[in-house]
Amino acid sequence: MRRCLGPLVTLFAVLWLPAAPPAAAQGMPRYGGELIFAVPSEMPSYDGHRESTFALIHPMAPHYNTLLRIDPMDRSGSKVVGDLAESWTVGKDGRTYTFRLRRGVKFHDGAEFTSRDAKATYDKIVFPPSGVASERKGSYVNIEAVETPDPYTIVFRLKFPSASFLSSVASPWNWIYKADILEKDIRWYETNVMGTGPFVFVEHVKGSHWVGKKNPNYWDKGKPYLDGYRALFIKDSAAQVAAIRGERAHIQFRGFSPAERDSLVAALGARIAVQESPWDCVLLATMNHEKKPFDDKRVRRALTLALDRYQGSQALSKIAIVKAVAGVQVPGTPFATPPAELEKLAGYWPDINKSRAEARRLLKEAGVPEGFAFTFKNRGVPMPYEPLGVWLIDQWRQVGLNVRQEVAETAKWFADLRGGDFEVAMDAQCGYMVEPDLDLYKFQSGPTSAAPRGISDANYARQKDSVLDELYVKQSRAIDPEERKKYVREFEKRLLDEEVHSMYTLQWHRIVPHSARVKGWTVTPSHYLNNQLDTVWLTE
Amino acid sequence: MGKYIVKRLVLMIPTLLGVAVLIFFLMRVVPGDLVELRFAGESAFAQKENLDTERARLGLDQPLWKQFLVWIAGVVRLDFGKSMWTGAPIIEEIKLRFALSLQLAIMATIIAVLLAIPLGVLAALKQDTWVDYTVRIVSIAGLATPSFWLGIVFILGLLIVFKWLPPMVYTPFWINPWQNMLQLIWPALAVGYRYSAVATRMTRSAMLEVLREDYIRTARAKGLWEQLILSRHALKNAMLPVLTVIALEFAFLMGGLVVTEQVFNLNGLGLLFVEAVAHRDYTLTQALVMLVAFVFIFVNFLVDLAYAWLDPRIRFR
Repeated sequence: MRRCLGPLVTLFAVLWLPAAPPAAAQGMPRYGGELIFAVPSEMPSYDGHRESTFALIHPMAPHYNTLLRIDPMDRSGSKVVGDLAESWTVGKDGRTYTFRLRRGVKFHDGAEFTSRDAKATYDKIVFPPSGVASERKGSYVNIEAVETPDPYTIVFRLKFPSASFLSSVASPWNWIYKADILEKDIRWYETNVMGTGPFVFVEHVKGSHWVGKKNPNYWDKGKPYLDGYRALFIKDSAAQVAAIRGERAHIQFRGFSPAERDSLVAALGARIAVQESPWDCVLLATMNHEKKPFDDKRVRRALTLALDRYQGSQALSKIAIVKAVAGVQVPGTPFATPPAELEKLAGYWPDINKSRAEARRLLKEAGVPEGFAFTFKNRGVPMPYEPLGVWLIDQWRQVGLNVRQEVAETAKWFADLRGGDFEVAMDAQCGYMVEPDLDLYKFQSGPTSAAPRGISDANYARQKDSVLDELYVKQSRAIDPEERKKYVREFEKRLLDEEVHSMYTLQWHRIVPHSARVKGWTVTPSHYLNNQLDTVWLTE
Repeated sequence: MGKYIVKRLVLMIPTLLGVAVLIFFLMRVVPGDLVELRFAGESAFAQKENLDTERARLGLDQPLWKQFLVWIAGVVRLDFGKSMWTGAPIIEEIKLRFALSLQLAIMATIIAVLLAIPLGVLAALKQDTWVDYTVRIVSIAGLATPSFWLGIVFILGLLIVFKWLPPMVYTPFWINPWQNMLQLIWPALAVGYRYSAVATRMTRSAMLEVLREDYIRTARAKGLWEQLILSRHALKNAMLPVLTVIALEFAFLMGGLVVTEQVFNLNGLGLLFVEAVAHRDYTLTQALVMLVAFVFIFVNFLVDLAYAWLDPRIRFR
């Protein structure tokens, strides 16, 4: 019976059909109306190249375009399509990418978009001047040069072939800025808005709301459908639910908990639609390799073997935003591990009794006594850290470990992770798109070409593993998807099974209940994607 | 009287300076810093290069004493600088929220006073009758009910019964009084009820005490009109502790309504305060603490002036 649960749970997560039909099958779009959505946080500045919060993307993405984007109708969040680049070619050496840019694209001030703007944008992201922070500069270390042979062509020359380059160019953060503005003041975009996107900026009242109106000169003729949108900054989740329930807002794009979804469905019935997806966020239990006995891989292996992920998925998915049992990639995406293969990894075995017996044996062999006590450091955020923390502690107790939980407020938790002041801690991984280069970066110990300074800034387990580092590089440079898949599997096996540097808990599960009036929007595994709103429309 | 006012005003300076020193260094002692929080986003990941760049830009790489001197020099000129989180001028950040918080505090105070004074006096006059018991039950219920919980009850009630929710965006009173009231009357009632409970209990006990004083008995023996005894002799003297309670509650409302603001999604000072602390926004937190400290000190100063008006003996001292 237990053997059947694992594949079923994962399969269910992958094939889960939302109550709302896919955006492409929602009928003829209707023009007009103002979309109102809740945003649970607020952006620090307006610069997409600098910030890392969804609170920036949700209200501001509609003002901008990127060169490429993720297809807004693609539920896997991995299909790359053109945005300001209408076509592209890759050189035979796999190191030269040439993008043909759209003509007739105008910035909101009427100036024409050319390759000069695209180059200035990428220069700011990849080669920022001293004193200017570029949050994702590390994702573009393979770019050697950016060239503009003519006003409608931009060429990227890479130092080495990269499997993720097109996805990197489709990053939702790489908003195209205006070259003239950047030349005058490279920080201008921290406090101002000027893009080519489907909506023009109207106002931002701090702590309250953000308003955009339709761009009448948008290059994609016929779009957008909405007259405008209004983002309400609502921090409290109960107030967000109330806003949807009271029809003061149509949607909150990040997601709600299962209980909140159920209360909305119960209250609004046919007036609410629900879209769900495995979420490209996961909490990991990270074991500090510099603290005994977690420097011993037998102990680390025992800790992951103690977890009954399949049972945990069933229980926790009712109360928390977690669901699928998964490896290092989101289920249902191109490089995800099939359930049958996943079951071979430590901690994913279908027979939990066998798994826990092996855990006890390993602990004994490593000299860890029955009742061994350690502290698990968790982040003081209720969802889903709290339920997952409680679950982990309970699981470890079942193999004779005595775990004390220390809950730290976010700033302290983060400082302790970075400073190595923990034995075992909850760690987080949240990607802006499903892409192995982004999802696996944090586990590098270096020095490698991708992490030239040595240890990755996010390798909180503090492991040194040159084999893992090499596998990262190999998967990153494997242009053939099948070959890349093979390296991702090897990486996963080494990370989670052979060395157990870290352990994945359960994949987050994104639940977006929204007004049934909202059409043309499709949930993806990332809450950073699909926020341009050009395809969204409202029914009567 | 003029000397007294000047003396009190001058005394505010060392108090505020003490608060400034305390909050500046306390913020630096708390673990974690805003640069890490900002660049980590939802993942626990931030590049060291960015952290260093940003710290240098914000002056956080400077020695503490230097940071303090720069900040305190600004405070003296009433220039609190920019928010380290948003980069916006702090005055701008606070101005936006101050109007809402002030209006809410005034509305809640009006509701509280309108309920508390008559009910407290009535309970004292009708001591140990059903009137007194009813007032006591209502006021104890108010003390036991957190205002944010009452707010949730209001919201659920409005949603379930009327299928309606108060507006979620603040409209200033002078732009649209109706919209403004539709949004703020509910939190004002929720907060005002708890506030009135405190003031009612205080009014009742103060009145009971005063009504037993010799001068009240003397006034009654002289055959003074009862209404005059109550208003001029009893209530005026009983108001001294009530005024203190009302003033302190008012000052608290100017930055302490965190959960109520969350429940009603109000863009007030309380939420701003909590976010500033959570983000480790040093400059904004310091400015807000200074503001709240100033409000408390100033309100206390006004109370002292009112004491002098209510009780002439204080002026002579």
